[in-house]
Amino acid sequence: MDSKVLLLMCLPAVAFFVVFNYAPLPGIWIAFTNFNYRDGIFGSPFVGLQNFEFLIRSGQLWLLTRNTILYNLAFIVLGNILQISLAIMLNEIRMKYFKKVAQTLMFLPYFISVVLIGVIAFNLLNYDTGALNALIVQTGGDPIKIYSIAGAWPFIIVLVHLWQSTGYGSIVYFAAIMGIDKSLFEAAAIDGASAWQRIRYIILPSLKPTFIILLLFSLGGIMHGNFGLFWNLVGNNATLYQTTDIIETAVYRMVMSQNNFTTSTAVGLYQSIFGFTLVMLANWFVRRMNKDYALF
Amino acid sequence: MRRRTVKAAAAVAAFGMSVAALAACSGGGDGGGGGEGGAPTEITMLVLGDKPTNGRLEAMLEQLNERLIEQANATLDLYYIEWADWQTQYNVQLLSGDDNVDLITTATDWLFAWENAEKGAFLPLSPEMLQEFAPQTWEQVDSEGHWEVTKLDDGEIYFIPEDNFTQWTNHGFFYRGDWATQAGFPDGEITEFEDFTTYFQWVKDNVPDAYPWDVAGANEAALTGYLQGHTDLQTLQQVSAGNYYPFHTSESDPDTVTSWYMEGDELLEAAELAQEWNEMGVWREDALNYDGDTREQLYAGLSGVDQHHTQTFTGGVYDNLSTKQPGSDPRFFYWGQENGNYFRDILTHGAMAVSANSSNPEKALEVYELIRNDEECYRLLNFGIEGTDYIVTDDGFLDFPEGYDSSTDSLGANFWGGRMDEFELPRVTDAPNKQELFDQLDADAKDYPYSTLLINKDPIDPILAAMGSVFSEYIPQLQYGKFADPEAAIAEMRQKLLDAGYEDALASVQADLDAWAQNQG
Repeated sequence: MDSKVLLLMCLPAVAFFVVFNYAPLPGIWIAFTNFNYRDGIFGSPFVGLQNFEFLIRSGQLWLLTRNTILYNLAFIVLGNILQISLAIMLNEIRMKYFKKVAQTLMFLPYFISVVLIGVIAFNLLNYDTGALNALIVQTGGDPIKIYSIAGAWPFIIVLVHLWQSTGYGSIVYFAAIMGIDKSLFEAAAIDGASAWQRIRYIILPSLKPTFIILLLFSLGGIMHGNFGLFWNLVGNNATLYQTTDIIETAVYRMVMSQNNFTTSTAVGLYQSIFGFTLVMLANWFVRRMNKDYALF
Repeated sequence: MRRRTVKAAAAVAAFGMSVAALAACSGGGDGGGGGEGGAPTEITMLVLGDKPTNGRLEAMLEQLNERLIEQANATLDLYYIEWADWQTQYNVQLLSGDDNVDLITTATDWLFAWENAEKGAFLPLSPEMLQEFAPQTWEQVDSEGHWEVTKLDDGEIYFIPEDNFTQWTNHGFFYRGDWATQAGFPDGEITEFEDFTTYFQWVKDNVPDAYPWDVAGANEAALTGYLQGHTDLQTLQQVSAGNYYPFHTSESDPDTVTSWYMEGDELLEAAELAQEWNEMGVWREDALNYDGDTREQLYAGLSGVDQHHTQTFTGGVYDNLSTKQPGSDPRFFYWGQENGNYFRDILTHGAMAVSANSSNPEKALEVYELIRNDEECYRLLNFGIEGTDYIVTDDGFLDFPEGYDSSTDSLGANFWGGRMDEFELPRVTDAPNKQELFDQLDADAKDYPYSTLLINKDPIDPILAAMGSVFSEYIPQLQYGKFADPEAAIAEMRQKLLDAGYEDALASVQADLDAWAQNQG
């Protein structure tokens, strides 16, 4: 009886995934064809792996994969550390009013469109009229050509990403902290535990399952960069590609200018298979360490 | 997205001939209706542009449809692919295969007509069908032998060319005659690409607020402008790698495929000139990330040049610049002016196809016949309603009524697939030297020799995609002079193109060209 209601509640989510994620799966076939409208997806001639060839031919596969993974690792590791610290700090704040205001302020950047962020960054950082360079010139320095320094951009991008996502991401951890059994804290207080000890021995261990689940989820998306952010910050600035080009931006450029549905599907498939393998590996690894923490 | 807006703006400028501009998305017609005598058949025409919201389009269509019902028992509705993301949307719309569109605006050089014809989006049009339902169109195109440029190698006609409409979409610099005069050019006339160095330097020294050339985003105008004027190479329009057209032939050797990116020293010379310009501060240091409206900067006196089509200059820039900057004496320098290396527009820069999924292809042709050949229909669709959308002055010029504001009042029907010279009127906003400029262009222009050449890209697609990504890395940096050592950068780019399979692609294109040349006899 109970499970019926629960299943019913699942239905919208299940329907969503069936319609948008499972039903289109057969369309992957397009990645292996020389597609034409007349013959359709399944009638078009089969060309094997030809659509994957360009990734290797352009000599970029390694660079793109490397950039994508390194950025995501930075996002995941730094992001989670910051989010957890932030959630703990929020939890320690006793002044309700301040807590609410601080939370809201940190939450806000999440709602700013990346398009705007791109514009703001350009107006802060550009050489001719940027605020940063204006400040440097005013104080007697030489302006910096930030949009020509490839080495600076990993820092800028990671920083902007963290600024945008940390407040939002800390909510999950904050909620998890709220869910910790209060009697643990009471017992700790009676035993004379300091604030540090409470964090070290109660909060952090309680956050571990949440952390692992979030980690597993984000590993699945490790091949998927934050396209909007990268595209709006870097755009067509080829000077920065060496350190900023990720699979999505490279593919976007190719597809936008060539309208090639087959190669873009091929790249999407490559990303997904890589991500799938990674999740399976990570999950296997977690399960070996502690069965309860594994996703499946 | 922001970038799309920019692209949209650029696209409007690029393809919005004359004052026609802006227009959005209307629901497709249901295509129903009976034959003659029954309810009128609704024909939907796909056009490019933003759908206008000022009500003028609807008012015009109402009048146009009265006439269409009378003449062909049909009505016309427009379906807009808007400028935001049009390149993707256009192909996706054709790909989706629904039957709500009957007529499709297309073009071989910017709207993927060959690709879509090959992929089966267009209905093959038999001569009998054309003769029966669009006899005047058939006659006019046939009399000039122009059906040849609309056929795939199966010998079928896939679209109707806009072959009787003169336009010049070759590129060049718009610059200011007053500044050029002060920079020491006799009569303010610049005749060589490199001479712009002098002009730019004068702007830099004398107009501190202006950029000599305020230019935004990735393009390669500084390179192609030089290359066109310093080689006799002609770009093969049929094959692109990303946004770049990698293959060329030369006028002196039209049967051999080469590439100005791979051969010769001219690319290096162009890159060195760009480097010099970059060091002078001709453009913003961060031009690649800048996406402002550079045409407005020109009008505001904040940019020394802007670049685009001859058509853009005569149809809008001249009028706007001379009004907004009195005494600026707008001028135009076109790429290849030095050596006559530029081309007339191809006949399929605009064309009309019938959708393979249209339920009423015959009716669609009848409607097309009328909007192309019936002067009343033509004027309604292209100019609007006389008196409210346009007026004709006593001396026969097209003008706008009192209080008309072209930025909010334009009709925006965007019919770019069958305009006719004989129905066009000179416009009061045209550059006064338009005819002179057109005559000058006509005197030296070359005809694109390869209009009927078909290149099979299937076997080289992966190579082209790979080459496209190499270009997108190097060309923007060469264009803006960003490499400290352009010679080394070009060598590196050439090596990467070779690694990507340039030689194989070249051989494949050469083979197609050979086969075509043989057929031509």
